[in-house]
Amino acid sequence: MKGLGRWLIPLSAVPVLALLAYGFRLDPRAIPSPLLDRPAPAFSLTTFTGGPLALESYRGQVVVLNFWASWCYPACYDEAPVLEEGWRDWRARGVVVIGVDIQDTEEKARKFITDFGLTFPNAPDTRGTVAIDYGVYGVPETFFIDRRGHIRQKHVGAVTHQVFRATVERLAAEPADPGG
Amino acid sequence: MTKFIAGGAIILLAIAYLIYAGVTQSVVYFVTPSELAAAPEPGKAYRLGGLVAPGSVRWEPQRLDLSFSLTDGARSVLVRHHGTPPDLFGEGRGAVVEGRWTPEGVFRATLILAKHSEEYTTPGAAGDAGYRELLKSLRGSP
Amino acid sequence: MIPELGQGALLAALALAAWGAGAAAFGARARRPALVESAQHAALGVFGLVSLALGLLIYAFLTFDFAVRYVAMNTNLGTPFYYRITGVWGALEGSIVLWGWMLCLYTLIVILRHRERAHELYPWALSVLFVVTAFFLIVMTLAAPPFARLTPVPADGRGLNPLLEDTGMITHPVALYLGFTGFTVPFAFAVAALAAGRVGDTWITLTRRWTITAWYFLSLGLLIGGWWSYHVLGWGGYWAWDPVENAAFMPWLTGTAFLHSVMIQERRRMLKLWNVTLVILTFALTLFGTFLTRSGIIASVHAFTQGAVGVVFLSFLAVVVLVSLGLLAWRWDALRAQGELDSVLSRESAFLLNNLLLVAAAFTVFFGTVFPLLSEALRGVKVSVGAPFFNQVNVPLFLALIFLMGVGPFIAWRQASLRHLTRNFLVPVAVGAAGALLFALLGVRSALAVLTLALTLFAAATIALDFGRATRARLGRGERLLPAMGGLLVRRNRRYGGFVVHLGILLIAVGITGSQAWSVQTETTLRVGEAAELAGYRIRFDGLQASEESNHFKVTGAFTVENGRVRPAVMQPSKKFYRQETSPIAGVDYWIGLREDLYLVLGDFSRDGRQATVKVQVNRLVTWIWIGGGVLTLGALLAILPERREAG
Repeated sequence: MKGLGRWLIPLSAVPVLALLAYGFRLDPRAIPSPLLDRPAPAFSLTTFTGGPLALESYRGQVVVLNFWASWCYPACYDEAPVLEEGWRDWRARGVVVIGVDIQDTEEKARKFITDFGLTFPNAPDTRGTVAIDYGVYGVPETFFIDRRGHIRQKHVGAVTHQVFRATVERLAAEPADPGG
Repeated sequence: MTKFIAGGAIILLAIAYLIYAGVTQSVVYFVTPSELAAAPEPGKAYRLGGLVAPGSVRWEPQRLDLSFSLTDGARSVLVRHHGTPPDLFGEGRGAVVEGRWTPEGVFRATLILAKHSEEYTTPGAAGDAGYRELLKSLRGSP
Repeated sequence: MIPELGQGALLAALALAAWGAGAAAFGARARRPALVESAQHAALGVFGLVSLALGLLIYAFLTFDFAVRYVAMNTNLGTPFYYRITGVWGALEGSIVLWGWMLCLYTLIVILRHRERAHELYPWALSVLFVVTAFFLIVMTLAAPPFARLTPVPADGRGLNPLLEDTGMITHPVALYLGFTGFTVPFAFAVAALAAGRVGDTWITLTRRWTITAWYFLSLGLLIGGWWSYHVLGWGGYWAWDPVENAAFMPWLTGTAFLHSVMIQERRRMLKLWNVTLVILTFALTLFGTFLTRSGIIASVHAFTQGAVGVVFLSFLAVVVLVSLGLLAWRWDALRAQGELDSVLSRESAFLLNNLLLVAAAFTVFFGTVFPLLSEALRGVKVSVGAPFFNQVNVPLFLALIFLMGVGPFIAWRQASLRHLTRNFLVPVAVGAAGALLFALLGVRSALAVLTLALTLFAAATIALDFGRATRARLGRGERLLPAMGGLLVRRNRRYGGFVVHLGILLIAVGITGSQAWSVQTETTLRVGEAAELAGYRIRFDGLQASEESNHFKVTGAFTVENGRVRPAVMQPSKKFYRQETSPIAGVDYWIGLREDLYLVLGDFSRDGRQATVKVQVNRLVTWIWIGGGVLTLGALLAILPERREAG
């Protein structure tokens, strides 16, 4: 090969590398949830501080419903600060973060809340029915519920800042009334 | 020299043909339950991915008959499989099955690939209690 | 304290490695030995620092330091002692530390072996080794830090993936990494040759033993992986064409091609360009393999994780491929061949064909592995490519390779005459054909099995013929039989070591053929007292036992097994329930034999323990795969020995 032809060799690697880079945009681990776009199952619990916690009372707001447990690490450890920060940043804009503690002991759960300085409402799922209603299989799992009370996204594993912000931004921009 | 290039080219062509034939014969198409229900082709090899619908699993140990529904929230597909499911399989969990669609309206799975997720953690104390129960009931037998 | 010390050591190592890379390269270019010496000292420093980091990580594991996130994820208070050491490389962050440590070790060995000879290639190769080490250190410090903290500190860890609590899994990653990292050295010297413009044989002669050693460890890693898959995973198979298995197989294929084609360059001064390309390709494939397992782009049973690590790896892979291929294009003229192929019937031609087939096989595996990506990118259609594709395309290629194994080492250089061909191959061909006839008469129905076995016999016969003739020549000179044979193995160790390796591969081929063609299995549900029958074995279900171990609960099935030949004995397949796992892990029980293995997996069971589903497999000839691996080991050891040519 004369002159410039030889440079075809390194150039020929570029399409292959591009294909591999494309692979990043795909997600082979997406798991569908039968609950997407359905009304979020109602629940009525009592928070760790004694107050009532009912999903209905948050209709009109964007609800970030997070299922966690004190024995779940490091994922729950990673996302607790994210959720707390998200709660503080967005509560004024009609977004509420709710934590439901499943399959845990009260003492350890309270310690978890204190350790991470969580100020959003948290309640234990004492009878385990809420977890079953939502098809929660492990922890952590987070459901993003829109202002009309429909589940719009299910996130498995620790929620990151990016995921929180992107989803909440999108849902918060939607109007509360259907057909509006 | 041309002899070698010709020979090499023939070999490369043969290999290319092998690859082409191999891919077209053994490629398996990913579908969701909705996609499959919309246009099922009997006899075509599919990989069907979805969630194992809670309450849908029926296991007949004597005949090794397993049946369950795979759903994606919109449509469900009834799946039948002969043999014990892999350990990772369970209700409410993601699974991918490979097999063919039968004219009777059932997906006959030859392979079940259950999803393994790193993020999930199982109950600690609560799980232990469940296992202790299992141990007790087993020890009751001779 | 320890996390900060560990991360600090890694950061300091990164700085030193960067310095070493620059000093060695500059020292090579400007011919300043003092700089190269400084780089050598830096290598010692890097090794010490990475060893410190690895040691601290092991220490954190041993002392249950759950403040370190990686420790909390991979152990818990119940993890047995030895798994607390080996679990260190059981997940992403730790495995990269181990990889980096091996690289540092290899760098030191290169320094010790080459610094006195003071030739042109050495400083450049050193620089390349530093660059690769620095990359892995970047991953360790930025993308996947092993010492990241977890706050608040949990009371107990999550635990090691139970599938990793096995001797196979302790050794499998180590062997594989020794192989992967081993190929860095020939790559470094190849790049050095391109940089320095010395593209002759030097870089090949210098790295011959490295190539064989790396190739051997890669082979060992693959075999152990197969063993582990067979004995632990509970599906009764040893290879699934899983993307991660393929990721390790591809560099093995191109590495094997490289091993052979360098012999042509040494003898005939041909294929210089091809050899440089092959070693670059092999090293790139080792990086690609790591990228595949850690980037999450392809769904696999193995896939570790996603995130920043994948991006870093792809970037480095891109840099390596583009820079080294660019250097190759730059030195194009010097790489042109000096010899020419004379005839199709020649050793050069056989080796070329061998290379073509191996690279074609590697391409096939690569194509099949990324085809899902390609399909989605181009057509938007999600597909998967499974075992049938790989088997369909690769089996003919491997059969041709077995045939070449019998032809290549014995056919003449340049041009083989008819007389030569008859003398060397008539008998083996007859043996192969006779074998084929024999198998057909014995009732072997699978044409593929007959063909494979016939080809294997042919190749073995050529080796035996050559060895027999050489021994006879020695006997004719007055030597006794055993010393003659031993003498051949030791004095002509390169040649005969290679033959022993080939024999090992042939045994593996026999094992694979047997297990694919003649294995049987069944699955039944039995009540206590009932029995299943398969291939002459009678398996009776006696009941279930339950127990609590240090970190899991175990349910064990008792099955009394008998056949006409063996005394009745009890087999105990089990199911282990680990707290941190969402599903139980099967504990397989098996009997290993030369002719066949009996293999039991406990499936479902009833809560009262009176009924159990069991999968029974009788796998034929599988043991020969492992025996072949042992023979391969002996051959590799022989081939690495220093050459001692006898006088006369």
